[in-house]
Amino acid sequence: MSKRIWIFMGLLVVASLLFVACGGGAPAEEAAEEPAAEVEEAVEEVEEAAEEGEPVTLRVLIHQNPPMVEFMEAFNDEFEAAYPNVTVDMSIVEAGDLATVSQTRLTANDVDVIDIFGFANGAQPYMTDVDAPNWQQFIEAGLLMDLTGQPFVDNYDEATITDAGSYDGKVYSINLGRVSYSGMFVNEDLLAANNVAVPTTWDELVAACETLTAAGANCMTAGGGDSWPIFVGAYGLLGALYPDQEALVEGLWTGDIKWNDEQTLELWEKYQYYAQEMLEPGVTGLSHDATPARFAAGDVGFMPTGVWQAPALEEAEPGFEWSYIPFPGSDNPEDNQYLFGKYDQGWAIAANTPSEEAALNYLAMFSEPDNYEAFANAVGFIPTQPTATLATQLGEEVAPYLESFRVGYEQFWIAPKGAGQWANGGEGASWFQPFNEWDDAAALAEQAQADLQAGLDSLSE
Amino acid sequence: MNTLTTSKDQITPVQSANKRDTRKINWWRIVGYVTLLIFGILYLGPLLMLVSTSLKTLPEFFKSATGLPTSLNLNNFVDAWEQANFARLLINSVIYTAVSTTLYIITAIFVAFPIARGLVRGHKLIFTLFVIALFLPPALIPQFQLILRLGLYNNPVGYILFFLINPIGIIILVGYLRTLPKELDESAAMDGCSYFRFVWQIVIPLARPAIATVVVLHAIGIWNELILPTIYLTSKEYYPVTRGLIVFQGVYGSNWPTLAAAVLILTLPMLILFLFLQRYIISGLTAGAVKG
Amino acid sequence: MNQYLFGRGRARWLPFLLLIPGLLAYIIIALGPSIATSVFSLTDATGVPNIPVNWIGLENYNEFLFRGLASRDNLDALTRTLIFMIAVTTIQFTLGLVVALLLNQGLKGTRFFRTLFFMPVILGVAIQGLIWSLFLYPQGGPMANFLGLFGVQSEFLGGQPNEAFFWVIFVQIWANMGITMVIFLAGLQTVPAELYEVAQIDGANGWQRFRNVTWPLITPVVNTNLLLNIIGSLQAWQLFLVLTGYKAGTQVLGYLVFAEGFGQTTGSVSSSFRQGYAAAASMVLFALVLLIGLTAQYLLNRREQRLGY
Repeated sequence: MSKRIWIFMGLLVVASLLFVACGGGAPAEEAAEEPAAEVEEAVEEVEEAAEEGEPVTLRVLIHQNPPMVEFMEAFNDEFEAAYPNVTVDMSIVEAGDLATVSQTRLTANDVDVIDIFGFANGAQPYMTDVDAPNWQQFIEAGLLMDLTGQPFVDNYDEATITDAGSYDGKVYSINLGRVSYSGMFVNEDLLAANNVAVPTTWDELVAACETLTAAGANCMTAGGGDSWPIFVGAYGLLGALYPDQEALVEGLWTGDIKWNDEQTLELWEKYQYYAQEMLEPGVTGLSHDATPARFAAGDVGFMPTGVWQAPALEEAEPGFEWSYIPFPGSDNPEDNQYLFGKYDQGWAIAANTPSEEAALNYLAMFSEPDNYEAFANAVGFIPTQPTATLATQLGEEVAPYLESFRVGYEQFWIAPKGAGQWANGGEGASWFQPFNEWDDAAALAEQAQADLQAGLDSLSE
Repeated sequence: MNTLTTSKDQITPVQSANKRDTRKINWWRIVGYVTLLIFGILYLGPLLMLVSTSLKTLPEFFKSATGLPTSLNLNNFVDAWEQANFARLLINSVIYTAVSTTLYIITAIFVAFPIARGLVRGHKLIFTLFVIALFLPPALIPQFQLILRLGLYNNPVGYILFFLINPIGIIILVGYLRTLPKELDESAAMDGCSYFRFVWQIVIPLARPAIATVVVLHAIGIWNELILPTIYLTSKEYYPVTRGLIVFQGVYGSNWPTLAAAVLILTLPMLILFLFLQRYIISGLTAGAVKG
Repeated sequence: MNQYLFGRGRARWLPFLLLIPGLLAYIIIALGPSIATSVFSLTDATGVPNIPVNWIGLENYNEFLFRGLASRDNLDALTRTLIFMIAVTTIQFTLGLVVALLLNQGLKGTRFFRTLFFMPVILGVAIQGLIWSLFLYPQGGPMANFLGLFGVQSEFLGGQPNEAFFWVIFVQIWANMGITMVIFLAGLQTVPAELYEVAQIDGANGWQRFRNVTWPLITPVVNTNLLLNIIGSLQAWQLFLVLTGYKAGTQVLGYLVFAEGFGQTTGSVSSSFRQGYAAAASMVLFALVLLIGLTAQYLLNRREQRLGY
């Protein structure tokens, strides 16, 4: 009996070692060579075919975002009309699955155009022992096509291409929009009814809140049920105290800034005040998508969240009067004039696509100023083409701040390996009661720094 | 196993014993009903919430997520059906589920029975292997590479392969088959029955409760699966019903009422399956199967 | 090995031959790739092709278990996982048994209740989470109102980690009791009705009937349910994903493994693909479950043998 079992186990081990040898990793170079050779042939064939007008299927992968999907379906029809030999096959996945599905489909050479978020969280020179972000991994694997020099790239403003679409001097993605997450929606009517001016400093905000609550209204609401809206709502607070968020991340890594600095203590105390005094009770149960309706009910003064809530707000209560301002987290009004955010969706092309010409045409047509402007308005992105303007209320509200848009902390932060869960102070607002267990700002600051330090210390090992 | 025997002497006091027991049984019955009622509310409540959500309009839902709908808004069901292209997707899901489950259950019986009876060398090891299968680490990338290299990516055949395995089913079957009396084997063998026929014609009908249970659990698992189709079935004509739900989901939130309606439509086939198989799950051994 | 009754010579191989398809499918699709995963855990593989893969030995494990304070979080998750397992298994097992017994009596409405209790299983994890995130609204939600009758308040899933953790346990049990119940129901069918009658005649009351007739006879399904419960609850994490998200103080090991592997620990969408590290983390979970699972299986087997199965 034992002999058979050993043979059996032996076969098993051999089989799985063969697996490992063949699956992924260095021998994948072999695998890459073969498809590359085949692809060259296929590309030639397709180029010929394109000239002859033979049918081409252009496979596009996007993430779910209803206004965007609606726009894309209309755009695909237009594109197919302009290029009759091309059929667009568009697939949709949830945003959280986009990275994984991009990886599998690029590897299987099963996609031509992909939707990819703005390049962020790249390894900076002052960071050690950090992994490349997923977009960089795609580039290093040769999975994304080099778009440098393509005419449509010039339609976008320089910051977009450099910050959100380039690596190592080459362009790999055209980014389609910025979103701001650090502002707050203001119910101007409610403020006016209570003789409260729109706050421009932290003290004014505190006073405004006290007035509102004393009058029986509520100061602020956010989607506490989903956790993340609490700390995203406080990104403006973070930004107001540290207007240069890139420098903040660098300082934390080099040790010039610590979470338990005297200056940073102000941040934690304000986080606590925001979480416990400003946000209305019951926020722990409010889901993120129910927040606009809550705000539109009219008895809440402020809703700190991202601009993506604007369409939902409009739909919840059309005609509701609102404005959008940066979260005034500083006592100094000049610090409160930036909107922080990130680059959202962009396009990239699979390097091994057999339909190179069609894919480039697709991006080119999308990037035409008229088409792009329609897109930005449909989705509510802050435009990345200098010629596009937003015709919506949101466009009006954010227009004064467009010049001073800055990429936020979340897009720079990488936790050093070994850091504890409290090291990412950007999420600090959501750690205070009632959302989590902390009640002492100074103690939490100490813990945050200790968690971060543990990671930094482990780097030198 | 069992140590109770009856004897003729003890049959006569039946009536008086029954009388005493009648009152006792009523008492237990009441407790039983009350317990079931409490559980019933605990289960019915949340499920009714799903139904009530499906009857609301979206603004209604945002205003009051947990209240009762003010009007019966059946549009959601119509919308759900149309938007998700459910007709096509349902057919796909039915095919995947039916084919996989059938293939699986046949192979599973022939795995479980020898283990239960110890008819194969190393049966303990094989069983342990299947138990280990329950807690194997997820192997997303190696599996992906395997399917890719077999040329079965974006292919229903490759997709079905994933569902030829289900250690839970094996474990349930083995557990159940062990309770079948060994005399069964002996009488069949004495009658000249071959192994294959024995399993096919005698064991399978007797194992109906366990088989029905496993079929239900396995089918539901396939029906509700979302991650695997997202990765392995990228052509729309292959989409199962779960992929259709995505049209109702937004980036930061979803169209809950229509989603709820879609979910109710989607679960109907599995509900029907369960209702149908319930009978088998609780079908007892026909008394006398072993006698003689 | 038991005596083979159905033939001699080459025919004795028939059971094994017919077993091969199932076994082979399992080895190729599940076991093989998982062994590959264990090998990958010793590398810095990313899962993205064409990126060089290097052998790094136990470095991934070192990072997961010992590096800085991240190890504290991982070990906390381990503790939480064990607590989750014990709470869920004991309660779900007991309730499943009680309900199965109740529904085996032929009371009125049995079929309705059976279906009702099994509905969550039919609906799947995502819907279970959706339903309960609505049901557990702190302000004016049904559960809040109900608890309010007793003067009990809770922030439910958005509040204190321990509270949120409790509620996830609650929902997990609610969701899966139906499976336990159905397996027990199937097992209860093997107990011939005559034995109950006989016991009754002998004067045994309800509890005695259960202890002396039912309990011994359903040993195999008891063991099945215990095993499935234990292993299932050690690995369950999808409910956490849907109900609480990645909330500090609530993570269990399964969630951690998934999040670290798919880069969902922070809000960023740019997180790296780290197949090797994720593999190592999942191997740690696997080791834990293996240890507990095999111990459980061994103890349960011994019990079965003692009872003559």
